[in-house]
Amino acid sequence: MLEIRGITKQFGGLMALQDVAFMVNRGELVALVGPNGAGKSTLFNIIAGAFPPTRGQIIFNRRDVTGLSSHALARLGVARTFQQTTLFGEQTALENVLHGRHRHVPARLLAGLLATPSYREEQREVERHALGVLELLGIAAYRDAIAADLPLGIQKLLTAAIALATDPVLLLLDEPAAGLSHDEATRMMNLVASEIRQRCTVVLVEHNMRIVAGWCDRAIVLHFGQKIYDGTPDGLTRDQRVVDAYLGVAELG
Amino acid sequence: MDVYLHLIAQGLAIGLLTGILYVLIALGLTLIYGILHIVNFAHGEIYMLGAMGVFYGYVVLKLPFAMTLVAILVLSLLLGLVVERAFFRSLRGQWLQLVVASVGLSLIIQSLAWVAFGIQEKNVPSFFTGIVSFAGVRLPMERLVAAAVGAVLVALLYLLVYRTKVGLAMRAIEEDEETARMLGINADRVAALACAIGFALAALAGAFVAPIYSLNPGMGLEVILMSFLIIIVGGLGSITGTVLAGLLIGVLQSVGGVLVGAEAAYGLVFVVMIGVLIFRPAGLLGKA
Amino acid sequence: MKRGLLGLVISALVLLPPLGEPYVLHVAIVVLIHVVYAQALYVIMRMGYLSFGHAGYIALGGYTSALLATKLGISPWIGFLAGGIVAALFAWALGTVTLKLRGIYFSLSVFAFAEVVNAVFRAFEVFGGPAGIAAVPRPALFGTQLTTHLQFYYVVLVVSLVSLFFLYRLQWTRFGCTLLALRTRATEALAESIGINAARHKTFAFVVSCFFCGVMGAVHVHYLRFVSPFVFTFFLSTDLLVYVMVGGLGSYWGPMLGTVLLTGLGEQLFAAGYYKSLVYAVVLLVVILALPGGLISPPRIFRRGGREPAVPEAAAATAARER
Repeated sequence: MLEIRGITKQFGGLMALQDVAFMVNRGELVALVGPNGAGKSTLFNIIAGAFPPTRGQIIFNRRDVTGLSSHALARLGVARTFQQTTLFGEQTALENVLHGRHRHVPARLLAGLLATPSYREEQREVERHALGVLELLGIAAYRDAIAADLPLGIQKLLTAAIALATDPVLLLLDEPAAGLSHDEATRMMNLVASEIRQRCTVVLVEHNMRIVAGWCDRAIVLHFGQKIYDGTPDGLTRDQRVVDAYLGVAELG
Repeated sequence: MDVYLHLIAQGLAIGLLTGILYVLIALGLTLIYGILHIVNFAHGEIYMLGAMGVFYGYVVLKLPFAMTLVAILVLSLLLGLVVERAFFRSLRGQWLQLVVASVGLSLIIQSLAWVAFGIQEKNVPSFFTGIVSFAGVRLPMERLVAAAVGAVLVALLYLLVYRTKVGLAMRAIEEDEETARMLGINADRVAALACAIGFALAALAGAFVAPIYSLNPGMGLEVILMSFLIIIVGGLGSITGTVLAGLLIGVLQSVGGVLVGAEAAYGLVFVVMIGVLIFRPAGLLGKA
Repeated sequence: MKRGLLGLVISALVLLPPLGEPYVLHVAIVVLIHVVYAQALYVIMRMGYLSFGHAGYIALGGYTSALLATKLGISPWIGFLAGGIVAALFAWALGTVTLKLRGIYFSLSVFAFAEVVNAVFRAFEVFGGPAGIAAVPRPALFGTQLTTHLQFYYVVLVVSLVSLFFLYRLQWTRFGCTLLALRTRATEALAESIGINAARHKTFAFVVSCFFCGVMGAVHVHYLRFVSPFVFTFFLSTDLLVYVMVGGLGSYWGPMLGTVLLTGLGEQLFAAGYYKSLVYAVVLLVVILALPGGLISPPRIFRRGGREPAVPEAAAATAARER
């Protein structure tokens, strides 16, 4: 359902990505892996619409979406989280998630101004849905807490909740376990592998091999902007090129 | 046709001279912005105070011109230090409040000025008299001297920022204040210095402009608008950008004034600004 | 309880005026007009944009209506609407360019625009030049011209209440809530990632804000029966800013509070001329230094200062630092 064709990205003289191509099938949980600087974030951002590739195409559900803006992509069902935990800091957790319904509920300004009964019913429905998402991720208890005050683990779950609220078809998670403790990371990944992936296809960026090996169906390894491996996590640990790229990294085990 | 060309050449020359003065003021603004991250709305008023200072020192108190200039320099440096310490420092990091505070400051200075100086326009007689003729263009000595001093000050600023330790500290803070602090740079002191220098540049520009135009307490407002336009076009935080933009706008306004009239020239400058905003939002030489 | 209070205030506004003398009515009119200006400005300030040039849009509205009435004999009622539409059109045109900018670049562009507007009005005779346009008529209702203070007061009251109601309701719609999400560059990116077309939202908000400024500007001009380039100046823009900052950014009622307090104070000091600006400025500085969020301080929104650096790479650094 997601096809990456020959993506190349150049920043001035720097070749960040070179002819990267792969496919993601519906329902999979795929990891984009590689050491720092390999180009995973760049590729991720290109898929998410942050900027266009220098060359190549992104095909989503048989439709060429290369170069579409991030809000257009979101409307098509692509949602993402950011590497830096980004939230609507001054609002409550519930308010954060409420924003996510945008893709499904039209603004209906006039009805809103007059607060018609149907508008208010719509609002209640939106709130119900948002609460549902919070419950799904187990953070409903924090619904009225100010987002900026929450501990990092809960904040990360909240960023996922915001993205999930859009009912995405494809969810892009940027280092979902970064900064979390071992237990928090496990909890996060369990959620991703069960509840979340039941609802959408997931592609995540990770450089922690334990996570990739433990939960993902497939791993795509990037090294200096090129794809050097595309297959199961088991095969990954045995692939010579991957081992060479990660030489010295203890997690490869 | 000959007369036309001659007028344009005259406009060009005057424009360059005026441009340098604009540059002085805009540089002070850019400096303060780069280090303190605040667009100082009170800048125009400092310029006005410099001009008024010349009036009171040279005309009213009949002090020697040189002494008046030195007094203005010292007072403006002090004012910069005081303002930074009293207002800007406590609001560090709060962009919205800082800008609004500088607007408040500008209102206070202007109101006090109207009360103290009255609405009667004041004139300062020329200190440097005479006209210099150069390649068919006539340049008043007053403007030449002002521009020359301005150019020297700009050069000195360049030296300060790019060749001294203090300048290095300034550039470090502009790049990343937190890291600079961690490296032991006393950001507060550098900020105070930047503010002082910025004020001094504005006040001196005002002092040299005093004999050229007539003075009134509202003169700061016209100048601050021009400075903002220059900064947007040249790029906030870029010294070279400000210099180029200042000269460009000075020339544009002057030559434009010759060709299409003063108000239309003003509109032309605005159109240029919009153009820059559309195609190069960070300014001609702005960062990023 | 709030509704009761509101009902009381509105009743007072409707029923008490016939008892007041013209001077009190004058103050009430001026206050109402400025309240709408401030609330309109608040729409975009909530979004993280500081405007130093709202007076320019007010002027556009005022001049439009004045010109229509004096040169073409068009009824001021239509003039009010026309003023709003003209201001909205300019806002739309300028907004698409300037709203992409953040922080100070935006503020400076709007400031520059307002100055240019006034310069254009000053320069050309068709707008009356420096002297402006005089003998601007009052609107007429069923044949009678509404010339007394009391009659015009009700005109102002009706227009204000409708505008304020609209602006209040706007804040509580999904659209209004979305504007809050666009406050900084980082949150804007987040909003875009969940399908919010930030540019469209911001432009619409800006257009709405300027529409009401235009309408009220027209009302203002028909009240003064006169307009010139010296009526809607940078000082008005900063006055509005002071009202909003002092009143507080935390709630819809903040700007209103600030306006009522300071305009009332201002009218008392009116005789003092330039002292009004001085007192405003002092009040502003005192409030800013003591209560950065204004009198009605928001729970969180601007407490950490609403840090919004204007230089792009600094914004990225801040976004990184903020978490």
